[in-house]
Amino acid sequence: MTQPAVQLTGIVKRFGELLANDHVDLTVARGEIHALMGENGAGKSTLMSILYGLLRPDAGTIALDGEPVVFDSAARAIAAGIGMVQQGFALFDSMPVVDNVIYGAEPTRRGLLDRRAATAAVSELVERHGLRLAPTDRVGDLPIGVRQQVEILKLLYRRARVLILDEPTAVLTPAETEQLFTVLRDLAADGHTVLLVTHKLHEVTAVSDTVTVLRDGKVTMTGPTSATGRAELASAMTGREVDLDRVYPAGQPGAEALTVTGLTVDGRAAGRPAVDDVSLSVRAGEIVGIAGVAGNGQTELVAAIAGLLPARGSVTVGERELSGLGVARRRAAGLAHIPEDRAEVGAAPGARLTDNLATGFHRRPPLLRKGFLRSGAMRTHAERIIERFGVRAPGPSAPMRTLSGGNQQKAILGRELTHEAPVLLVEQPTRGVDIGAVVGIHTELIAYRDAGHAVLLVSAELSEVLGLADRVLVMYEGRVVAEFPKTEADPHAIGLAMAGGAPRGVAGGTAEDSAGGAAGGVAGAAGGDEADVVGDATGHASENMAGDTAGDTTGDAAEDSGGGAA
Amino acid sequence: MNRLGRWRGALTVGVAVAAALVLGAILLAATGANPLEAAGAIVTGAFGPDGIQDTLAYAVPVAGMATALAIPLRAGLVNLGGEGQLVLGAISAVAVGLHVPGPLGLVAALVAGMLAGGLYAAAAALCETRLGVPLLVTTLLLSYPAMSLAAYLVRFPMRDQGSSLPQSAQLPPDVRLPALAGNGLTVGLFLIVAAVAVYAVVDARTPAGFEARVTGWGPRFAQYAGIDRPRTTLRLLACSGGLAGLVGAIVVLGFPYRFIDGALITPQYTWIGLLAALLAAASPLGTLVAALFFAALTSGGFAMERETQVPRELTAVLQAVLIIFLAATTGLLRRRRSAA
Ligand SMILES: Nc1ncnc2c1ncn2[C@@H]1O[C@H](COP(=O)(O)OP(=O)(O)OP(=O)(O)O)[C@@H](O)[C@H]1O
Ligand SMILES: [Mg+2]
Repeated sequence: MTQPAVQLTGIVKRFGELLANDHVDLTVARGEIHALMGENGAGKSTLMSILYGLLRPDAGTIALDGEPVVFDSAARAIAAGIGMVQQGFALFDSMPVVDNVIYGAEPTRRGLLDRRAATAAVSELVERHGLRLAPTDRVGDLPIGVRQQVEILKLLYRRARVLILDEPTAVLTPAETEQLFTVLRDLAADGHTVLLVTHKLHEVTAVSDTVTVLRDGKVTMTGPTSATGRAELASAMTGREVDLDRVYPAGQPGAEALTVTGLTVDGRAAGRPAVDDVSLSVRAGEIVGIAGVAGNGQTELVAAIAGLLPARGSVTVGERELSGLGVARRRAAGLAHIPEDRAEVGAAPGARLTDNLATGFHRRPPLLRKGFLRSGAMRTHAERIIERFGVRAPGPSAPMRTLSGGNQQKAILGRELTHEAPVLLVEQPTRGVDIGAVVGIHTELIAYRDAGHAVLLVSAELSEVLGLADRVLVMYEGRVVAEFPKTEADPHAIGLAMAGGAPRGVAGGTAEDSAGGAAGGVAGAAGGDEADVVGDATGHASENMAGDTAGDTTGDAAEDSGGGAA
Repeated sequence: MNRLGRWRGALTVGVAVAAALVLGAILLAATGANPLEAAGAIVTGAFGPDGIQDTLAYAVPVAGMATALAIPLRAGLVNLGGEGQLVLGAISAVAVGLHVPGPLGLVAALVAGMLAGGLYAAAAALCETRLGVPLLVTTLLLSYPAMSLAAYLVRFPMRDQGSSLPQSAQLPPDVRLPALAGNGLTVGLFLIVAAVAVYAVVDARTPAGFEARVTGWGPRFAQYAGIDRPRTTLRLLACSGGLAGLVGAIVVLGFPYRFIDGALITPQYTWIGLLAALLAAASPLGTLVAALFFAALTSGGFAMERETQVPRELTAVLQAVLIIFLAATTGLLRRRRSAA
């Protein structure tokens, strides 16, 4: 029998009091795709960081191909053939793919960078693994899914035989995920070993050979994927039964709380606007979900409503007209916002949890009294949110970045819900969140709606939109192209609309005037290749995506606008 | 956990200082001096009964400038125009002090210094927020015309008629800050202490200070939270320049009670202050401690040169070594870790 490619034995890692890995054993065979699951804070990233040499275990051993190894740095692990794509990206947006790939391992000729050799080597890899990108593309112009492939290229370029991917799919659309999996399957067939961290059960079933579940730092289950049921995985993760595909009862909408009329946001390049004459409304006690392939203007729409991007058109909250106002005024008028990018926009990773949770509450009582901030009140405020939303953290003084990804999300959600604002804008609320916590977050959002608040939800997970929303709008190329009430929202029709083929019948029949008008136009335009679209809705969507440079415009656009948005 | 972290922080700083001192000792020994003797000379020179006055006199402007530059640095904004604001504050204070008599003149001179520095820094801020020129560039570039203007003024319109030096006339006796010692140390010391105290309280306990810190943690997070960046920039720069101008006023309102061209630039108040602020990550107390430390090292260095013939430049080397060690251990040079 051949030796396993990776064997971890008795790995223990403590952070102060907290036992992040508790005698973890993990065996991964060569050429296998091994999924690693577990709740937020279960210790997945910690374990992978140990294998990658970023963290040193307090106890336990690592063996590669049967040879014991000790890594005191990532450089050593890389030399031993291990590569890791960490949670979140580490790319230079303004540089071309080649530079990103060779960074830190540049080929040289007579002491100088050998650019031609670099480009050739990268092109060769791109070709061999059938990636859809050109070495000269600027990373910032690539859609998120393709950026992920740049990360993988980086590993391959360094001749990694063991690839660790920590939640690579969290930011990908379903079609991009499928593309990534194709690449991973090829790599595995080629003799590479893949360790994949993910929260999504269907991904585990789709791509992995073996699955291991961690809970509270311990292995609770491991075995071949084919012999493991979804329910079994879910309960190994959470220690209880989880209702996986719950559809929540509809709300009881009241008066209009958020009204958007003719909102238009300029695109990054001249020509097509990022948000094109969008009108919509959300009523109190209602969740309106926006479905769409990422990059079709959802992020810009929310940013414009929040005041982070300059826009034309009108936004009203209650009776109050918000256009022309800055972020602070809009928030004061009754907006709260859970952004898509929690690491940079939604939080300050280096700052204490207390400070992160106090931000936004720092100009009014009880945190402020007689013009001074009370540190006791700030602490109580943080403790209350941590407690109520079940944020797992070493304590309120812990820096935000020491929280696991999902717990950061819970903290931000908790902070924004605590505002009790009449209108909540929420983007990707459960991205990177474990399935147990997904249910918790969904319950919170439903409770928030039932308390009479209006919620505008943007999510790349169609099942999430379908489960939560009372009404579903579909965005395509910056426009709202279709609208479905909860009772008529079926995945097929929505998928079709997401791909640009909004059928006249659905949109025209049930949509309110504004959406109906836009939908009619698009349906007409897309009419020619409708048959094609019906055949493979998501596949088509992905092609649109890949050919479209507007993948992730919010980041840069928000920066460009600076404070000028006001 | 937090206490542990702080303790460990203190320990790393201690280790860095010790390591720098050892390296300094080796350097001293290499030049043929007795390191212990030299170190003793520095310490007595800095803190001995005579030395302490010089240390304090030097520490007042250094600590003042360090705090002035720390204020915007807290929000991640670097004010490189400290020299211009300092000089402009000083020349304005002298101009007002020479024309407004009596104690009123003293107050007016201080206020004028503050206003001049503050408005000038605010202009640099506006260039960024309105015209989009980076603050680093606007502050630094605006510094030069300010220094040239002052140089021109004391050579021509404001020149002391009885002297051939580029210096202003002396301020009348009632427009001078009461002296605490003969070396230029005045009650300006208390003004700077008060400024540091105000900065510490505003930083830790007020919404404005909190917002500055939030901006420093992450500009996009700050924008998302509704903090108005242009307004924050303008306010912080105005405070920064105002304090720098006040420092300039305090210096010229002490011995020798006049503006001498170059006298505010040669001692490097601004750059040593900026270093102190950078090393302390602009934390109010840390900045003060770092500024005092550098001031002591500098004035001790003069004493060492007098006593032991070891060139004073060696303390500059020591200072540099120390900065590198501190920067390396406190993570100033470390790349920000990506979120996990
Ligand atoms: N540098 C650190 N200092 C202190 N505690 C830490 C540190 N890094 C991680 N932790 C803690 O260790 C535990 C495990 O974290 P880890 O990041 O491995 O979780 P995870 O399984 O990757 O979760 P997620 O799915 O949310 O990413 C968490 O409770 C986290 O707060
Ligand atoms: Mg993780």
